[in-house]
Amino acid sequence: MLKPFLIAKNLHKSFNSRKAVDRVSFSIRKGEIFGLLGPNGAGKTTTIRILSTVLEPDRGDVIIGGYSIRRNPDAVRRLIGVCPQELALYEELSAIDNLVFFGRMVGLSGSEAKAQAVARLKLVGLTGRAKGRVDKFSGGMKRRVNLAVSLMGHPKLLFMDEPTVGIDPQSRNRIYRTIERLRDRGMTILYTTHYMEEANRLCDRVAIIDAGRIIAMDTPLALRSRIGPPEQVTLEDVFLKLTGRRLRD
Amino acid sequence: MKHIWFIMIKDLKLFSKDRMALFFFILFPFIFVIAFSFIMGDLGAEDQRLTLNVTSLEEEGGISYQIIEAIETEDESVLEPGEPIISWDVDYDEAHQAVEDGELGGLLVFPEDFTDGIYQSSGTELTVVVNPDAINTYAALSGLAHSIATRVNSQWVAASATIELLIAEGLLDPTDSEAIEEVMEGILSGQNVSEGQSAIVLATESVGEVEPVNAANFIIPGYLVMFVFFAAALGAEIIVRERQNHTLERLLASSVRRWSILGGVFAGTAAKGVVQITVFWVVGILAFGIDLGVSPAAVVILSVLMVVVSAAFAIMLAALVKTRRSAGSLAVLAALILAPLGGCWWPLFILPSWMQFLAKLTPHGWAMIGFNKLMLFGAEFGDVVTEMLVLLGFAVVFAVIGIWRFRTSAV
Repeated sequence: MLKPFLIAKNLHKSFNSRKAVDRVSFSIRKGEIFGLLGPNGAGKTTTIRILSTVLEPDRGDVIIGGYSIRRNPDAVRRLIGVCPQELALYEELSAIDNLVFFGRMVGLSGSEAKAQAVARLKLVGLTGRAKGRVDKFSGGMKRRVNLAVSLMGHPKLLFMDEPTVGIDPQSRNRIYRTIERLRDRGMTILYTTHYMEEANRLCDRVAIIDAGRIIAMDTPLALRSRIGPPEQVTLEDVFLKLTGRRLRD
Repeated sequence: MKHIWFIMIKDLKLFSKDRMALFFFILFPFIFVIAFSFIMGDLGAEDQRLTLNVTSLEEEGGISYQIIEAIETEDESVLEPGEPIISWDVDYDEAHQAVEDGELGGLLVFPEDFTDGIYQSSGTELTVVVNPDAINTYAALSGLAHSIATRVNSQWVAASATIELLIAEGLLDPTDSEAIEEVMEGILSGQNVSEGQSAIVLATESVGEVEPVNAANFIIPGYLVMFVFFAAALGAEIIVRERQNHTLERLLASSVRRWSILGGVFAGTAAKGVVQITVFWVVGILAFGIDLGVSPAAVVILSVLMVVVSAAFAIMLAALVKTRRSAGSLAVLAALILAPLGGCWWPLFILPSWMQFLAKLTPHGWAMIGFNKLMLFGAEFGDVVTEMLVLLGFAVVFAVIGIWRFRTSAV
């Protein structure tokens, strides 16, 4: 078995008296796509913010590539890429300007940043729109730029927080293919989504989180097998059985 | 440092793509400047001299007649820029009525006992009759009256000392009042002054201070301070926008330090401010003929310090607010309160002392005191060092609060 690339140990995070993340522990192996599933407000985004060093946990630690987020946050930042749930782009700038800027921010030289920007735009199918202003793009194109930016600097571990929300099937399919190509290149990915078929298709293992706590963690097949014959049960059935049908927002 | 540079360049790029921001940043301030220059009646107009009317209630031959003859303007063409015309109104009643009717701004009146009051050391009183609307005339007439009183008093002291000396030397009989009066009159009327000089000289500097030679020398710095601060304060939105657009989160997850992000925003805001002050001064000099005074370097340093203070204020504001709307609202509010309070809209020296005190609580006030000293009153570099240090102090305080708050604030 491959050595874990990410180890989250007993993470806690509260906002005022509300526990957003409660005793969360898991690990992700190198080259694995790990899905984090949960209803709205379950603690997925807070967990990703902690893992990506943006938020400090109240308790617990995370080791990424051998570095602690508490003791060596800078070393951790050099290993990771973040594709946030929201579009984190300067929409008045062109696609390539966004990529080059964030490339410089992760320490690339000018020529490296330009070369990588061109390659990333090709990867997400936006070569022809490189110089177009992002605010003129469709939702799906913006999502693909968002993903391309997170790949600047060759991160070893990519956090993807619901990267396919609100886009058409074509763009979604393009993102799936991009993620599969990244997996083929050996990239480790933590993926959160509401779309169960996405998790079923892409993820090697999934953890289901609710009320800040991980309530189940296994391969999609093993999770489906828990409640019935896996060929007759969907991951959504598992999700609803474990998290309930009560509305969360 | 590289991150600060890249963030600054990115902010300038974003700014250059925002046409509305460019309009409000550069053109809008000049619409204000042009409008207020017209209101103050200076743009393209001839130098409108202030006329100061003087009259006497004395009988002909008194000292007041000699004073008025000495100060009366005979040839306007020889007057210096800003120097007022002194006009002698022989008929007091007619002149007083003209003030009442608003035809004259004011009138300096010598009393009928002016000469006796001086000779007998019993004191005398100059009266300024003023139309309440004519603030500048009142200020100038008061200055003229003060100048005359000071001059006459010093001449009287000199005359008394001369008489004492003549008596001590036995050259004058202390009981001969006619001879003493003759000596006194001789000194007070200027007979002992060499030819070409007058015993009574009008000091026009104070009049010049009340009525600046070029109103743009006040207006341009005033609006520069106001709009540099306003534009920079609106820069607070940049960090709030970074937060709301989640680019801040992305930056923090890369290898960028928090202080680098603040530094980049600060540098971008300051760079825009430097462009703004450059445009202000160049247009001010070329189009409005402003005079930077005897120390242009001090004017430039003061301007740059105002930019630094404003950028630091933006950092502080950005770290204190959560939304773009509150950042924008507070920026507008702060700019509109601090500008008049700090003397950007009217000269501080015409305000009551309590308002001058309030002005010193604002960076605007210190900047304007410095600019007024340099551009209106001929001050040199050393005279505005205090203003420069205070502005630097404001910048440090704002920056420290901003950095401290930003370090501890959530994304």
